[in-house]
Amino acid sequence: MEEEAETEEQQRFSYQQRLKAAVHYTVGCLCEEVALDKEMQFSKQTIAAISELTFRQCENFAKDLEMFARHAKRTTINTEDVKLLARRSNSLLKYITDKSEEIAQINLERKAQKKKKSGDGSKNSKQPAEAGVVESEN
Amino acid sequence: MADDNPDSDSTPRTLLRRVLDTADPRTPRRPRSARAGARRALLETASSRRLSGQTRTIARGRSHGARSIGRSAHIQASGHLEEQTPRTLLKNILLTAPESSILMPESVVKPVPARQVVQPSRQESSCGSLELQLPELEPPTTLAPGLLAPGRRKQRLRLSMFQQGVDQGLSLSQEPQGNADASSLTRSLNLTFATPLQPQSVQRPGLARRPPARRAVDVGAFLRDLRDTSLAPPNIVLEDTQPFSQPMVGSPHVYHSLPCTPHTGAEDAEQAAGRKTQSSGPGLQKNSPGKPAQFLAGEAEEGDAFALGFLSTSSGVSGEDEVEPLHGGVEEAEKKMEEEASPESASSTPESLQARRHHQFIEPAPAPGAAVLSSEPAEPLLVRHPPRPRTTGPRPRQDPHKAGLSHYVKLFSFYAKMPMERKALEMVEKCLDKYFQHLCDDLEVFAAHAGRKTVKPEDLELLMRRQGLVTDQVSLHVLVERHLPLEYRQLLIPCAYSGNSVFPAQ
Repeated sequence: MEEEAETEEQQRFSYQQRLKAAVHYTVGCLCEEVALDKEMQFSKQTIAAISELTFRQCENFAKDLEMFARHAKRTTINTEDVKLLARRSNSLLKYITDKSEEIAQINLERKAQKKKKSGDGSKNSKQPAEAGVVESEN
Repeated sequence: MADDNPDSDSTPRTLLRRVLDTADPRTPRRPRSARAGARRALLETASSRRLSGQTRTIARGRSHGARSIGRSAHIQASGHLEEQTPRTLLKNILLTAPESSILMPESVVKPVPARQVVQPSRQESSCGSLELQLPELEPPTTLAPGLLAPGRRKQRLRLSMFQQGVDQGLSLSQEPQGNADASSLTRSLNLTFATPLQPQSVQRPGLARRPPARRAVDVGAFLRDLRDTSLAPPNIVLEDTQPFSQPMVGSPHVYHSLPCTPHTGAEDAEQAAGRKTQSSGPGLQKNSPGKPAQFLAGEAEEGDAFALGFLSTSSGVSGEDEVEPLHGGVEEAEKKMEEEASPESASSTPESLQARRHHQFIEPAPAPGAAVLSSEPAEPLLVRHPPRPRTTGPRPRQDPHKAGLSHYVKLFSFYAKMPMERKALEMVEKCLDKYFQHLCDDLEVFAAHAGRKTVKPEDLELLMRRQGLVTDQVSLHVLVERHLPLEYRQLLIPCAYSGNSVFPAQ
């Protein structure tokens, strides 16, 4: 029993490490882009610090989102929860609100087209691009 | 005669002495009621200018009345302990009465002339303000001799005998003397017992923060208040039995007898009037059962009252302060609190007492506690107590905000344990302001997120969870139990009351 718990914990830990590595890599790429843009170099420690920070903040976000969803007596996390999460930073909130509106609009259009197309029977033919957007949203 | 003795020189003692020395020794049999009434009058009239006149007129009146009433009253009084002359009475008073007069009712003049006119009627003629006391005094005195231990009687007998020997003018039997002594002593004892320095029971603390009243300290007024409070038992006796007495503001009760408190209360009410829900808490709190301690506690909440000293329980926010041992102490602390000269020194003294009380503010976010209190208890408080009439109209929004934060700034400066610059304190106040604004915005958003228009404790819990105070291991109830006093806890955690009711509901 203890061994199982340990192995499970080890698995979780290794999984976590892999996630952290992925985050670290992504942060490194982004920092390289910014370095090229601003003509300023990033030290390795900086990238490591940013990646650690990002990881921990993601954990916090996840907990907050779950709390918000439960507060609204829901079991699924909604865009409303995300907007609530981003309310602190005005620019971020604005960006997210715009994006969410865009997505909502796309959804509406899709539904309208689905209704139209129900007679034709071909749903995916017209908007492959939007499908990509839908996938990214999901 | 009233002009004979200036107020400063004449004390009851000296006046009685004068009367004893000058008055003719009389030993007619007198009705006990007259004697009791005279004694009462003498005891009650403290350092009033008319005392000499009163005693003289009383002596004269008694002599007149005694002759006419003596026969009829004699039969009535035969059952009581007899053989007491005014002289012995006065002597006993001098012997037994405490140096400082316990009672100094203002309406002393009333009973005396009334008594002169109506001799046989005891209680009715007695002063109206002391109605409550007189009946109390009457039965004990009659019962006193029976109740007293024989040892005490003997002691008093010895004293009285000595006194008699000294005076050499009285031929009184020992027993009546002892009884007189005993009764007078018990009367004085009763008087002391009747003094209303009763510990103020648990008061309902002001839930919300109120800005501390800013008033210059008036030492003379303070001392006067101290004296007045100790000298006004009847009102206290009356007030205590009423669970929900009228709010102190505007009420001329001596009981709350801190005259400063009504004023400060009014000020606080004004300041609180324009504030958010937080103000409703304390304002309503003021209507809580009329107990000065409570009121003071409420004020303390706002203005660093040392209510903690009175608070029995540890819980902080709630007036938390239980019994107030002494009025004087309260007043003192309040005065200290109100001193503007040195906010730090003022805060240090009362806040040292509040340390336990207010740590809850420091550790967890004070605002959540306040917000919880403001949201939930505001309504129950409204239900429980009639809203206090606001003396002034609503103030501009900014002032109450900043005024209310000074309380927390004082707390901050106390916990800093070192002197702080005024600018630093101002910055702290700004930060607190921003913090509370942010907090309340969050609460509003949380409530809207749940599709509600009212902020409920669930929103507070969510906020505290985000702050890390409420975790999976530590729930909100646990924090409430840990940090809040009983009064607040009752409002938050369902508690069963009499009549098969649970409050708050569910």
